[in-house]
Amino acid sequence: MKRNWKFVLLALLIGLSAVGIYTYCFVYNKPHRDFEKEPAAFTLTAEALFSAFVTDEASAETEYIGKVVKVSGRVDSVEQIDDLVIVSFVFEEGMFGPMGVRCTMLETHRAKALELEKNQNIVLKGYCAGFTGNDVILEHCSLQ
Amino acid sequence: MKMKKLIFLFSILLISHAAFSQVYITRNGHIRFFSQSPLENIEATNRQVNAALNNSTGEFAFRLLMRAFSFEKALMQEHFNDNFVESHKYPNAMFQGNVLNIEAINLKVNGQYNVTVEGDLTIKDVTRKIREPGTLTIKDGVIIGESVFKINLADFNVNIPNRYSRNIASEIEIFVNVELRER
Repeated sequence: MKRNWKFVLLALLIGLSAVGIYTYCFVYNKPHRDFEKEPAAFTLTAEALFSAFVTDEASAETEYIGKVVKVSGRVDSVEQIDDLVIVSFVFEEGMFGPMGVRCTMLETHRAKALELEKNQNIVLKGYCAGFTGNDVILEHCSLQ
Repeated sequence: MKMKKLIFLFSILLISHAAFSQVYITRNGHIRFFSQSPLENIEATNRQVNAALNNSTGEFAFRLLMRAFSFEKALMQEHFNDNFVESHKYPNAMFQGNVLNIEAINLKVNGQYNVTVEGDLTIKDVTRKIREPGTLTIKDGVIIGESVFKINLADFNVNIPNRYSRNIASEIEIFVNVELRER
């Protein structure tokens, strides 16, 4: 009888720590989304994405924000700001300078992005953070 | 509502532009916030902040996307976006106001100036007046604006459920760092 109790207690302890470890690893410390592997919810031209936000910001917000999108277009510039590398597509001239789609590259795609040339046709996949009033922002981008 | 504000923001900058003053801008300003609580410290960084300063009128504005804040832990980022700031409903935050003592600053001379910034901060469509100290540093024609201030989450309709009250501070510290260049 005594041995039974010990067994139950031990089983309980193991069970509880398993739940604890699971929670710690997969809930509290669950990994960030892998945007390079995640499939795109939308595939369109960078220009179509930009004009969706310019013509109807509210409906473009519900459609694209928080989604992974794949866009194609002609590179206007590649900027390096501190350690960030930003590829931009430009479609209009606005108050704050050129307006378009600005894509912040994933760390693993920075070197490749820096080799891109102006007017080169490319396809990029990234996470749509929204519209700043000036640019559509794509983050965690990878070259396709 | 949001569009009106934006048009207003652009039009003040446009009018100022017409008066031959200069507008200094950035699209990669840096805003970070920090919450200190008994259980854990939470920090998030946004490096896609749009900001503009008119050097003669002192008008200053910034706008950022809530979804562009990144956190150390994915779970925190999810809670932040889905539960606390509801970024699907309120994707932007913005500030629109003035650097009060802009005339004291000589852009031709490198140096650091203490300034006071006053204006409207909008988060989750709630607008509050704030008045905070900061510095403007002139370095070879580039203006670096910095400020650290605190906001109360409840003031902006950010409600933290009781079960998280030991994880998230009710008052959080905001760090602004924008490097503005002539437009």
